[in-house]
Amino acid sequence: MGKRCGIAAGLALLFALGGCSDQRRVDGRIDLSLWRHQAGDVEESAGRYAIARFEASQSKWHITPQSLPQGGYTQSIVAASLAGQLPCLMTVDQPMVASFVQAGHLRPLDGLIPAAVVAQLNPAAQGRYQGHLYSVGQFDAGLAIFTRRSALDRIGARIPTLDHPWSLAEFDDILGKLKATGAYKYPLDLATRDPKADWWTYAFTPMLQSFGGDLVDRATMRNADGALNGPAAQRFGTWFQSLFVRGLVDRREPDDRAFVTGRAAMAYTGNWWAPDYRKAAGDDLLILPPPDFGRGTVIGGGSWQWAISSTCAHPNGAAAFLRFLLRPDEIARMADDAGMIPVSEAGAALSTDFRRGGKSRAFFDLMQRFARQRPATPAFSAISNSFFFALQNIADGKDPHDALDDATDAVDQAIADAGSTPAPQPGKVRE
Amino acid sequence: MTQSRKRAYGRRIALLSSGPALFGLTLFLIIPFLLAFALTFTDQRLVATDSGRFVGWRNYERLLSISYVVQDPQPGVQGKPAFARVRDVTRADPVHRGFRPFSDFSWGQKRVTILAKDPVFLESLLNTFGFALMVVPLQCAMALALALLVNAGLRGQTFLRAVYFSPVVMSMVVVSIVWTFLFDRDLGSINKLLSLLSLGTIGPVNWLGGRATAMPAIALMSAWQGAGFQMLIFLAGLQGISQELYDAARIDGATAWQRFWNVTIPGLRQTIAFVLVVTAIAALGLFTQVDVMTQGGPQNGTSTVMFHAIQRGVREENIAYGSTVAVVYFAIITLLILAQQALQRRWSK
Repeated sequence: MGKRCGIAAGLALLFALGGCSDQRRVDGRIDLSLWRHQAGDVEESAGRYAIARFEASQSKWHITPQSLPQGGYTQSIVAASLAGQLPCLMTVDQPMVASFVQAGHLRPLDGLIPAAVVAQLNPAAQGRYQGHLYSVGQFDAGLAIFTRRSALDRIGARIPTLDHPWSLAEFDDILGKLKATGAYKYPLDLATRDPKADWWTYAFTPMLQSFGGDLVDRATMRNADGALNGPAAQRFGTWFQSLFVRGLVDRREPDDRAFVTGRAAMAYTGNWWAPDYRKAAGDDLLILPPPDFGRGTVIGGGSWQWAISSTCAHPNGAAAFLRFLLRPDEIARMADDAGMIPVSEAGAALSTDFRRGGKSRAFFDLMQRFARQRPATPAFSAISNSFFFALQNIADGKDPHDALDDATDAVDQAIADAGSTPAPQPGKVRE
Repeated sequence: MTQSRKRAYGRRIALLSSGPALFGLTLFLIIPFLLAFALTFTDQRLVATDSGRFVGWRNYERLLSISYVVQDPQPGVQGKPAFARVRDVTRADPVHRGFRPFSDFSWGQKRVTILAKDPVFLESLLNTFGFALMVVPLQCAMALALALLVNAGLRGQTFLRAVYFSPVVMSMVVVSIVWTFLFDRDLGSINKLLSLLSLGTIGPVNWLGGRATAMPAIALMSAWQGAGFQMLIFLAGLQGISQELYDAARIDGATAWQRFWNVTIPGLRQTIAFVLVVTAIAALGLFTQVDVMTQGGPQNGTSTVMFHAIQRGVREENIAYGSTVAVVYFAIITLLILAQQALQRRWSK
């Protein structure tokens, strides 16, 4: 706790001392500050080029971008807001949107971005909370099953399609046969070595949903009881545990190269691994939809998105930048430059990799069909952490029903606590 | 100058000299602690900008509440007594709302289950003290052994000293990641070595994945990482023991073991006390290794109090509750220290 808070306090002090004024001008243009999380060189430079193109496209606004480490990003935002020095534009991880809105950090985008522009975006790319739009995504990330055609051929498995993903029984059968070949100690790689709650929630909530459960009751968003520990969720928990009991998944993968090296026949991971996997498997690589566990295939939607801070002095300028980013040609550029999945049909059509017949089109189709957003609630961090611990305990042998009951109680309490602080008036902007 | 003026002058100088340190302590230790203490009575969130509302003792109540249920056996399958699921009982009964099973035992035919509102905190508390009991003797013994080795006047002892000290200057995160590889069940070197030495009779041990082995594994790795530091302190202590004492012991015909037991150990008494205290303090703050290697698992087997505080306070953004964990932990440790000092005073009388 000490170190993170220290950094946050330090940052707050820094910005308070820096005292950048609202009306800074650069080359006669009004300056807009922009914060983004550090997301790797490729995405970083793609973002830099997008800013350069925006500045070339008009003469009124200038953007000063700043990259902050992803680990302490949320804390930096909190510190900056305490010091009254929030940037105008910032990236926000979609599940955090509700929490930031509740804290009064974000400005609604309803009047700032034309409804027609918003309408062409996938629902998962729209960060909504309490009926208002607060963030928009220029791209998305998506999970799929990666495997080798040769591995499936060897056991005579059917290759699933978007219309007919594997069923639970089929998937279990295939994993069992892969294990029986003796070629793989653990046929399926679920990236269980990842110690972050984010990954476990992002990766396994869709499975829970496909079984018929959910993190919270989506109808009310008020409680998890029945959704997170009901019969469907218990079926999911029991199955999830059986993956480890049957030796189909390694409880703790030693590294993230199980699929590349051929130790695992199958990997359940995101589009960001596609380049490495293509290199390793070549034409043998198959990108497949996750199985349908009973209630249709589900993939988590909603990646890092763009938002405008409530203290931004020039929301029009910030909105101009967002409108620029949401142009189909810009969506296509980002998709091709950074390998991210476009969030609109028009954007995909203009992209080399994601247009019909493009090498990464599979991801776009998967997201169009199966994407479902994580719940928009200020209690998301608590929900995510509780679910993460329930899954870890289940994987380590705890009774799935007990583990899910624990998570449910924790989530219900977190939601009740979050609700006890008065929510800001919808649309009201803190000055 | 009169005596009293001299004394006042000395006091001023003392204040002036300790000023910078006091300022730092106040700013970074005392004020944050007072703030944390104040936070424990609110429902302050980490991300919210407004300060939380006053909620009284709610956080303490959630942290420390303990209860129990007694269950009669129901007719079970094949003559074995069966019991209703405790979670079903606690979730149905409003009296036990929010309680989770912590531990259970048999009482004749009945089953008694201890309930707690935050069983993970209690487990973490036990784990942390368990870790301290394992790591403090291990690490101090290792440090003393290394110090004796380095002090023995062998060739290349400067080199050895640097080697033994090198883990201390390595980042704990890096050390933890490396040891995670070493401890890996299927590919780790430790299991490979065990299998080789035992000619295959010792199967792969799931070091970090088993409840019985996870904490000892972390203790072993922590002792290895930290021993170099205590080694240096012991070295300084060893060099402070007069050579004449050894010479006298040798003339009296003492064996190496007798010299160690009757000269070295008494000579190091102050050093040993200091090293034990320093190591215990570090052990009670165990966090990084757990966060990197096990995330508190398997089934909370390695969850520690600091890890629990960070989980609740920072990762779940419930800073008020995280502060409560820290404040209660502080109180427990303070009580232990007071008890220890009282006992020491009684002994020395």
